[in-house]
Amino acid sequence: MAWLNAVVQGILLGGLYALFACGLSLLFGVMRVVNLAHGDFAVLAAYLGLAVITGLHVPLLWSTLAVAPLFAVVGYLVQRLIIQRSLEVSPLTTLLVTFGLSVVLQNAMLEGFSANSHSLPSGWLAAGSFRLTPQLSIGHFSLIVFAAAVVVIVSLQLFLSRARLGRQIRATADDAEAASIAGTDVRHVFGIAAAIAFATVALAGLAFGGYSSFDPGAGTQRLIFAFEAVVIGGVGSLWGTLLGGVVLGVSQALGAQVDSGFGVLAGHLVFLAVLAIRPRGLLPGRVT
Amino acid sequence: MSGIEGRLSHYVTRRTLLKTMGAGALALSTSGLAEACGLGSVKGTSTNNTKKIVIGYVSPQTGEAAGFAAGDNYVIDGIRAASAYRNGFKAGGKGYDVQIVVKDSQSNPNRASQVAQELVNSGVDLVLCASTPEVTNPVADFCEANGVPCVATIVPWEAWYFGRGAKPGSAFNYTTMFFFGLAEFAGCFVPMWDRMNTNKLVAEMYPNDADGGAFRANFPGLISKAGYRSLDGGAYADGTSDYSGMISKFKDGGAELFSNVPLPPDFNTFWKQAAVAGWKPKLATVAKVLLFPADVTSLDTLVNNIATDCWWSPYHPYKSSLTGQSAKDLADGFEKKSGQQWLQSLGSIHSLFEIAHAALTAVSDPHDRKAVAVQLKSLKYTGISGPLDWTAGPVPGVAIQQPVGVQWKKGSKWPWSMYVVDNSLNKDVPLNGTLTPTNG
Repeated sequence: MAWLNAVVQGILLGGLYALFACGLSLLFGVMRVVNLAHGDFAVLAAYLGLAVITGLHVPLLWSTLAVAPLFAVVGYLVQRLIIQRSLEVSPLTTLLVTFGLSVVLQNAMLEGFSANSHSLPSGWLAAGSFRLTPQLSIGHFSLIVFAAAVVVIVSLQLFLSRARLGRQIRATADDAEAASIAGTDVRHVFGIAAAIAFATVALAGLAFGGYSSFDPGAGTQRLIFAFEAVVIGGVGSLWGTLLGGVVLGVSQALGAQVDSGFGVLAGHLVFLAVLAIRPRGLLPGRVT
Repeated sequence: MSGIEGRLSHYVTRRTLLKTMGAGALALSTSGLAEACGLGSVKGTSTNNTKKIVIGYVSPQTGEAAGFAAGDNYVIDGIRAASAYRNGFKAGGKGYDVQIVVKDSQSNPNRASQVAQELVNSGVDLVLCASTPEVTNPVADFCEANGVPCVATIVPWEAWYFGRGAKPGSAFNYTTMFFFGLAEFAGCFVPMWDRMNTNKLVAEMYPNDADGGAFRANFPGLISKAGYRSLDGGAYADGTSDYSGMISKFKDGGAELFSNVPLPPDFNTFWKQAAVAGWKPKLATVAKVLLFPADVTSLDTLVNNIATDCWWSPYHPYKSSLTGQSAKDLADGFEKKSGQQWLQSLGSIHSLFEIAHAALTAVSDPHDRKAVAVQLKSLKYTGISGPLDWTAGPVPGVAIQQPVGVQWKKGSKWPWSMYVVDNSLNKDVPLNGTLTPTNG
């Protein structure tokens, strides 16, 4: 039963990783941009969430309504003003630019919010759970995060395959030049994709903030999990990212079940194994 | 720069500024000469031979351990205003102005070492440091290596002593401390466990770091003497986000008591997950976390009736040797001035400056670092932290405080307050609460 519990908790944790990774996956899939500042933006979202929650006295769930749209705007602006320019130079430049963004963000947050760690108050959600058996309970908060991850990824997938704008994004991702000849404003379309990606980053940042705690340096530590989820699942595939997150979460939980010191390492080992055996990931997709 | 240093500059009057500049110029020229001659620093003698005593103070004012230092500004303002410090120290028949230089370790051991170096290079006569081995050990190490007297507190003495490579029987020459150790943790927690009706199995959450290692190595042995068995949750890495494996181990093992020494954010994550999983130990006695109100608020109701150790509180019947104010006065003053709840480190930080005063005024030359160090190691005095005796410590250079057991319960003035529920180790402190199971 302990092992079943580990698997269930691992799947739930995987939802958090997948939610965190899907913005990274989307930006890479559409624009071939590896956003190294991804984790730092998530932490920034958590700080914004904290300000909204304590300033307006609203619960954690409601704060997403303020933070996610705001982050979409931030994403559009970051894409149009910073990333797009570097994209036109070379792919390597985008890597350097996002790395620079990461350093700037971290230090700006250190200056603005000090190095103190915070946790988002999640009220009754923090300890509430469904007790399935004495050995197996599912936390309300983890379940909500997992559900959010699934909903976000399913609706993103539907949006990209069905909606007109989504198809435009895919077309641009496949061949930006051809799309531009056909009358698509490529920069605007990339901006929209970045806006969506950043809104998911905001959700992930708030989820992480409620799940445990954060400080200005937390983003970089956690970026590795997002990368691993994307690579395990298969680069460029959103379904793959969901699967990758779950595989990573379950490996960590099972590793920790063997020995408490082995959890994080087990995740890294599975990541390496996937890289060695299936370098394209478990569900290698076409672009998005 | 942190607020405390901004405040410091506010205190520098034109007169002291001129003096400091003069001393600085002198120090600069002598050190330049020494370097030119290839001498480097000469141990045991201060480069500062002026009529001014400089005391350095290092604590984690920002970073993950910032909760420890929340009262620093208030305490140091009070010390600077105390007549002993304001009017200067008298030693060997001479008067000395006193300057306090405050540095922030940012909860980072490398930074702590760096600021200790800055203090030592600027020619301080004594370094005070507080809160967690990540501050006290690098600072004390640097002071020991450079022959500068140092007093530390709020660090288990084993972590400070063995953590710095001391062997039983050996002693440090320049560095001293006061606090308590694992024997007192056990002495504080076991009587509370004894009052619970349990199966005597203790779940232990000890991380893979300095404090976790010290507890894992010593605590099971200490509590087994009282008939308690240990269930080790494993040496997890600091910053782990999933504790379900450890929790199911505690649950399956049927542990009814809980002991830990984690980083505060990790306890936050763990305790939420334990509640979700429905693991409810009868009594949780935590160390290193929930010492301060700031840690408590983010867990809210989950914190009810968690017990911890308390080495200083407004309920301690002690008075400052500097100002004569009582522990209650000090705590009330802090609450009034900051609008925040009192915290245990107020008394310890105040005591550091009592000790500095006691040692520096007992020697004939306060710039004689060897004499000050000898004085510190044989000091015996009573202040706001109660009686402290460096001649009776478990090892040389260590004075022991006796903590009492407290529980967090709903308060009247603040959402959560500490109540003294067990005074087995220190009968001076009156009980003001009833020991209640964490989970009834």
